[in-house]
Amino acid sequence: MDVSLSQAERSEVPVVTGSGGNWRGLLTAANYLLLTFFAVFTAFPFVWMVITSFKSGNAIFELPPSFIPDKFGQPDMFDNYIAVLTRHNFIRYTLNSFFISFMTGVGQVVTASLAGFAFARMSFPGRNILFGLLLFTAFFPVEVTIIPEFLLGARILDPLLTPIGGWMNTFLPLIVPSFMVGSFGTFLMREFFSTIPKELEEAAVIDGATTFQIYWRIFLPLSRPAMTTLFLLSFINNWNELLRPVLYIRSRELQTVTMGLTTFQGEFESDWNLLLTGSVIAIVPLLIVYVVMQRYIVEGIATTGLKG
Amino acid sequence: MRHHARLTPYLFIAPMIVGLLIFRIGPIIASVVISFTEWNIISDPEWIGLRNYMELFTDDTFWRVFSNTIYFVVFYVPFSMALGLLMALLVNQKLKGIAFFRGLYFMPYVTSMVAVAIAWNWIFSRRFGLLNWGLGSLVDAINAVISPFDLIINWDSPAWLSNYPYVLASIIIVSVWKTVGFQMMVFLAGLQGIPKTFIEAARIDGANRWQIFWRVTLPLLSPVTFFVLIISIIDAFKTFEVTFTMTQGGRLSSGSTLAYDIYQNAFQYNRMGYGSAMALVLVVMITALTIINFVGRRRWVTQETY
Repeated sequence: MDVSLSQAERSEVPVVTGSGGNWRGLLTAANYLLLTFFAVFTAFPFVWMVITSFKSGNAIFELPPSFIPDKFGQPDMFDNYIAVLTRHNFIRYTLNSFFISFMTGVGQVVTASLAGFAFARMSFPGRNILFGLLLFTAFFPVEVTIIPEFLLGARILDPLLTPIGGWMNTFLPLIVPSFMVGSFGTFLMREFFSTIPKELEEAAVIDGATTFQIYWRIFLPLSRPAMTTLFLLSFINNWNELLRPVLYIRSRELQTVTMGLTTFQGEFESDWNLLLTGSVIAIVPLLIVYVVMQRYIVEGIATTGLKG
Repeated sequence: MRHHARLTPYLFIAPMIVGLLIFRIGPIIASVVISFTEWNIISDPEWIGLRNYMELFTDDTFWRVFSNTIYFVVFYVPFSMALGLLMALLVNQKLKGIAFFRGLYFMPYVTSMVAVAIAWNWIFSRRFGLLNWGLGSLVDAINAVISPFDLIINWDSPAWLSNYPYVLASIIIVSVWKTVGFQMMVFLAGLQGIPKTFIEAARIDGANRWQIFWRVTLPLLSPVTFFVLIISIIDAFKTFEVTFTMTQGGRLSSGSTLAYDIYQNAFQYNRMGYGSAMALVLVVMITALTIINFVGRRRWVTQETY
């Protein structure tokens, strides 16, 4: 049941049965009141973040707080941003996050589409058990498995990988685990592949296509929207990941944006204007991705939600 | 139609299965073994039998953390689901600008928890935070009105980020705020999947909006509600980032949760065995909850497909 939002808008329930104009107006007003209330609640931390990022170190502690930042319109308006980006390494952090999130996104699309194809279109012994296991392990937060994962990395993988730079304090532990396992992604791809008509597959078999050709030439090109969704969600998740960077990364120049923010918070505890400037810098790339690609992100969530 | 060799499907799932074994199943099994040892990473592990568990179950801090985790689930799950459903009902209407509200409500979900948690830290800050300033001003205003009658409210600005129970309330509030857009989005998709004809039929039979919601919409939505419940429970155990960034567990771990306490024990106090024992408690908790959910499912989830 793949409902795109615009489609569904047309078929949605009429709000009012027509018992009079006043009642209808009142209802609309009440709706907008509630909508606005939630909008303020949702947006306020962001707004306050941006306002504070344009304040000077003294202005932030003024009580009552001012909602118009003192640097607004001044020549030094962007000083906080320049300071955070240049003096505090945030350009580097952002590039690191970008690289890691991109790689895991690609990895997720590759492994999840391969596995999703097998789970959706082939029958083989152990299929249901393996798929069930994959979904079941998604119930546990990463803290459940992180201790053995860390020990494996520190004790076995790190010495093993020394010739290529080791495992600890590299990007590998931030990329490989989420590159390889993706319960959500496999689920999403399986659901999408199941909707592709069988006739396409059968025609290809008659034409002598191999299984891999069917996957590569027919299924992948048809599932670009699902792959885009998966890539974006994986990108966002890994951009926001904190535990693994905190555990594995020691060098400052390898930190990700989220980890850099927490380090920054430890060092500049009360420089709220700079801290919140860092926060703005950390989420602006995500917001751009969200605004531009909103359709894919929302549809992915809607589809998996319905199929659950 | 079978068009593949017997081995082919396993080649397709191989990368995923290897990952599953190394990074999910393997570690869960390894946790069991490690939980019977004392291991500080630097020296070799020492087998100590059930001592970690005995320590765990007699430790006050653990029980506080355990009950905090349950409180978190008990508050987070119903609040995020009820709010998510309310928001979904709101944005499912044909009103001008509704796409804007929908997009806005979902925004926190795609942003970094660390970044928004820092913004919330500033709002929750004891002396200079906007929240305590607002609450303090409100109390002052009330006192100005009631003082002629010899009444006064004594109000001490709470330390939202360190003192119990505020320290737990603050991370619950921020977690609900951050994820409720997701619950909304899934509910919205569910609402839009309900065929219009059911609702039309109920209306023709004379049902009002309230009755339609409780007797038609909600039962038809129940499979989606079940899914949201499962996801919300999973989310309720993911408390590491918000705790790490906002409270570090608060004073004397008074607001800590299992996810954060596992991290602290394993990686700050270097107690791998003790941390693993805790991780297994978390595994048991989540498994039990999941079983209860799937067993209880029959009682309230509508089975008919439409």
